[in-house]
Amino acid sequence: MNDGPLIVQSDKTLLLEIDHERAADCRKAIAPFAELERSPEHVHTYRLTPLGLWNARAAGHDAEQVVDALLSYSRYAVPHALLVDVAETMARYGRLRLEKHPMHGLVLSSNDRPVLEEVLRAKKIAGMLGERLDDDSVAVHPSERGNLKQALLKLGWPAEDFAGYVDGEAHAIALDEDGWELRTYQREAAESFWHGGSGVVVLPCGAGKTIVGAAAMAQAQATTLILVTNTVSARQWKDELIKRTSLTADEIGEYSGSVKEVRPVTIATYQVLTTRRKGVYTHLELLDARDWGLIVYDEVHLLPAPIFRMTANLQARRRIGLTATLVREDGREGEVFSLIGPKRYDAPWKDIEAQGWIAPADCVEVRVTLPEGQRLAYATAEPEERYRLASCTHKKIDVVRQLVEQHSTQPTLVIGQYIDQLDELAAMLDAPVIKGETPVKERQRLFEAFRSGEISLLVVSKVANFSIDLPSAEVAIQVSGSFGSRQEEAQRLGRLLRPKAEGKTAHFYTIVSRDTVDAEFAQNRQRFLAEQGYAYRIIDSDDLEADPAS
Amino acid sequence: MVHAEPAAAAAAVARVVDLALAWESPGGLRPLSGVSDALRGDEAAGVSGLRPMSPEPPDPEDVAARLEALSPAARALLAHVDDHGGEGTTGSARRTVSPADAATPVEELIAHRLLLPRDGGTLVLPGEVGLALRGGRTTRTPRDEVPEVATTDRDVALVARSAAGEAFEVVRRVELVLDHWGLEPPGVLRGGGLSVRDLKATARDLQVDEAGAGLLVEVASVAGLLTEGVDEDGEAVWLPTDAFDAWSAGSVAERWAALALAWLDTTRVASLISTRDPAGRAWNALAPDLSSQMAPEARRLALEELAALPAGAALATGTGIPSMVERVAWRRPRRPSVHRDLVAAAVSEAAVLGLTGAGALSEAGRAVLAGDHDAAVAAITPHLPHPVDHVLLQADLTAVAPGPLEAELARTLHLVADVESRGGATVYRFTPGSVRRAFDAGWTALEVHDFVGSVSRTPVPQPLSYLVDDVSRTFGTVRVGQAESFLRADDESALTELLHHPRAGSLNLRRIAPTVLISTVSVDVLLPRLRELGAAPVVEAPDGTVRVARRDLLRARRPRSGRSRAAALARTHAGVAAVVTAIRSGDRAVASRPETPTVTTTPTSALAALREAIEAGSTVVIGYVDNHGARSDRVVDPVRLEGGTLTAHDHRADDVRAFAVHRITSVAPLPARP
Repeated sequence: MNDGPLIVQSDKTLLLEIDHERAADCRKAIAPFAELERSPEHVHTYRLTPLGLWNARAAGHDAEQVVDALLSYSRYAVPHALLVDVAETMARYGRLRLEKHPMHGLVLSSNDRPVLEEVLRAKKIAGMLGERLDDDSVAVHPSERGNLKQALLKLGWPAEDFAGYVDGEAHAIALDEDGWELRTYQREAAESFWHGGSGVVVLPCGAGKTIVGAAAMAQAQATTLILVTNTVSARQWKDELIKRTSLTADEIGEYSGSVKEVRPVTIATYQVLTTRRKGVYTHLELLDARDWGLIVYDEVHLLPAPIFRMTANLQARRRIGLTATLVREDGREGEVFSLIGPKRYDAPWKDIEAQGWIAPADCVEVRVTLPEGQRLAYATAEPEERYRLASCTHKKIDVVRQLVEQHSTQPTLVIGQYIDQLDELAAMLDAPVIKGETPVKERQRLFEAFRSGEISLLVVSKVANFSIDLPSAEVAIQVSGSFGSRQEEAQRLGRLLRPKAEGKTAHFYTIVSRDTVDAEFAQNRQRFLAEQGYAYRIIDSDDLEADPAS
Repeated sequence: MVHAEPAAAAAAVARVVDLALAWESPGGLRPLSGVSDALRGDEAAGVSGLRPMSPEPPDPEDVAARLEALSPAARALLAHVDDHGGEGTTGSARRTVSPADAATPVEELIAHRLLLPRDGGTLVLPGEVGLALRGGRTTRTPRDEVPEVATTDRDVALVARSAAGEAFEVVRRVELVLDHWGLEPPGVLRGGGLSVRDLKATARDLQVDEAGAGLLVEVASVAGLLTEGVDEDGEAVWLPTDAFDAWSAGSVAERWAALALAWLDTTRVASLISTRDPAGRAWNALAPDLSSQMAPEARRLALEELAALPAGAALATGTGIPSMVERVAWRRPRRPSVHRDLVAAAVSEAAVLGLTGAGALSEAGRAVLAGDHDAAVAAITPHLPHPVDHVLLQADLTAVAPGPLEAELARTLHLVADVESRGGATVYRFTPGSVRRAFDAGWTALEVHDFVGSVSRTPVPQPLSYLVDDVSRTFGTVRVGQAESFLRADDESALTELLHHPRAGSLNLRRIAPTVLISTVSVDVLLPRLRELGAAPVVEAPDGTVRVARRDLLRARRPRSGRSRAAALARTHAGVAAVVTAIRSGDRAVASRPETPTVTTTPTSALAALREAIEAGSTVVIGYVDNHGARSDRVVDPVRLEGGTLTAHDHRADDVRAFAVHRITSVAPLPARP
């Protein structure tokens, strides 16, 4: 027995006991090849996946290093079969190569002929390949580069891509580190992206993903297309880029429903790209409008399906995806990885919190009991009506009022799903409300007022779920949500995580009706955060006044 | 003469003499008469290449001289014959030739009497020629050089560690599969053994390949933990034995030693599972004939060779096993070739079972080889993960046991939480379902709280306490029970009176609400008893309405009257008519017999006649032999002739019948009715 911090399970999960003295070293050793799956308070779970091992190969690690890391940190003997499997999996990488040929353009070649033959016989691959050039190589249609890589990955013979990336049109971009500097993890993230070529960077909300994007642009020194979720977020990107880089307002264009500018750095919304008129994507020419050297996908977990397909055609360009929560309720995380690139950087939320870059948060689940009459109504309601009934109970309004009073000095957000509930709350609390129908101008005015401290209480619908930068918010009260969405929960908490003055703790309240689907959904929603190490406290609404934290 | 150091050869001869396999006679050493027969047994296994000498062996120098005189082609041919067992065949060579007119190398050799022609074109290399060819030796290559085993250096600690790791996995997997089979046993195939599908499912559960799963179930079976039994439906199934319970209670080291010792001496050949036998059938795991008497010996030989390696040396990856096979084959040259496979399998199985680690025999493995159970347990114990008595609880409702749990604790935790991941450590997840399972087993919320509090080394996360409380709050809110009847009254005191009535004891009344009593006796019994007790109950129908109970008047069924005369008459008529029809058609058959000279008897003509009759729609008389060999004449209207069957309307039966064509002995046209 070896006193290591790591336990290697035969189902290819790695359990890392983080209170162990060698835990930090171990994490460094296994991070290149193992994917972090959960990071609750005591034991973090990593998983060995073929994708992870191949990424490690691509980054220059070999099987020997992986086996050595496992053996030297493992507490118990490592299952032999697992080691053999690691070696075999890693040996599959690079048998096929995608190369640029001076005469034939893009070429798939191999010096292991049986592998090439096996791959060529696969039905899915057939349409992507051109003529057979010689025994060991075959031409590839340049537009199929992405699809081919994806298909080969599924066949278990990932191709090593030597074809390189299009440099794009050069454009000078530099970081303007005046009064601030790139944080260590931001630099690491930008660098590991650059070395990997393309990929996804996962950082918690509020940890400065925009800066990572800017750093990537400064590395690329080329014209850049930035895809974001909505117009407000587009404006925020623009402001941030002007502040943090040498770019000026004239160099940055916005391409959205209202404005259509194409400049060296263009920020477009997903929505405008996926707008169809008579079945045609009218704005797709934006992708070819310039010779982009870099494409940034903000909030890549929201990447809409049509963009998936467009990305497949952009394989020759460098792509970076940014996200805090790579969980998709539709389970299509894999497609994000295969189209944009593998995960290049990931950091546990709690680590960044410990470094002081995001605010610590106190998550509290407040449970209310439905009054007798409503319980009966709930019990007899149609299943599809139940969540609405349970989550919109009037008991919640009292609790919200109570919480708002307790935090009366702190900027507070009240977040909900149902508009009539929000309207009611706004009337009761005498606070402005932002919902889907609020015009962009009005939204920006209210957000600005909130940021400057003019108003300290906002009631918002799901429009504020993403990419709305409200650094001053200290308290969020969630009354209802989109059912059991883990990602929404994480994003809402993310609104609070900008570091606060004097390291103050943010408060995140979720109000839940006991013994209803509301509570069940809440449990599912909290899972992602619990796996990130955010432990929820549960208190009863009746005990609220005695709660020491408030 | 043997290609070896003279001293070694002399020692070997001395040993052979000592064993009384040979004796010194005046004419030199002679083997015991039985020995040469025993040695000759298997041509393919013969390794020495020695052929019998000619009856009158010529002088060796003479032979050498004759060899010298050969042409290069003939010499090459001779060397080839010698390499391939000293026998060859030729079709065309003449038997008697003189050296001068030999046309081919073969004839040249025959002429020089270096190859002796035998029956059927076979040519034999005489022993003395072979000897001369090999420079006076029995073999071309030295025989006293023991093949070396290819080894690499391995840290002894690493060997012990990885062997123990495998040992732990084996024990865990055997326990897992038998636990599972105790609940859902797989069926026994008709020919014995386990079906391929069940083996595949087991392999999947255990995260091993099929060969690995096969080895595990075989070892479990020879250790007496698994045997054939019968399930509830009386089907033959594979079931864990009662010894399994005793086994699971032991420590990991003891359990492993039991498995390893059982494996060492078994004749079972697990390595064949999922390969195919010469007839192309796949071998099933646990199949009765999957054994070989040579297996234990091969296994011991292999392990002894491993044990003989110096400390710190281990089998080299890749080349280690083949070199080991060579070495064992040298030590036991006369074993059939299957022995080699058994040796190779033994080495790889020993690795899977944790007797060896990283290619070398562990200390515990040596103890097993020596058959010393206690020493094996003592040797492996320090290298096994220590059982832990605690888990780490986390806010995402998982519990991680950072090592193998103590058996009792593991069982309890199994009850209240679901297993998510297994291995050196175990990850459990608490779900409402798993906590409810504990309540179902009779736990209270307090007990669950105490249990998780006592096993956790970290504070119990609040979500877990809430989960337990939430489940306990809804647990048992609806109660279900059995009752035969109920009593309901708005007047609570009336029920109380009944409940406490001294003579109501046999009714088993129980109060479940102030106004409801239940009873375990049925309404039929309850009603008269209640009346006896002075109550005036009313019976409720299932829909809640009052059912007025009136005594049913008893009535018997009207006796059935006899059949009507008309019906009886009709039956008689029908019977008579049938008899008359049969007699008439018989008559017609008889009538046709003597006067019909054109009785067809050959099969072809019979068929032709039948076809003719079908087309003409005429009636024929056929001779037919029935199942019992009785021949009868039938008057039939042929309808169809196909597939060796004649379908025809049989006049006697007055129905369509099928006749086998090969039983039709004759076909004759029906003579016109007189």
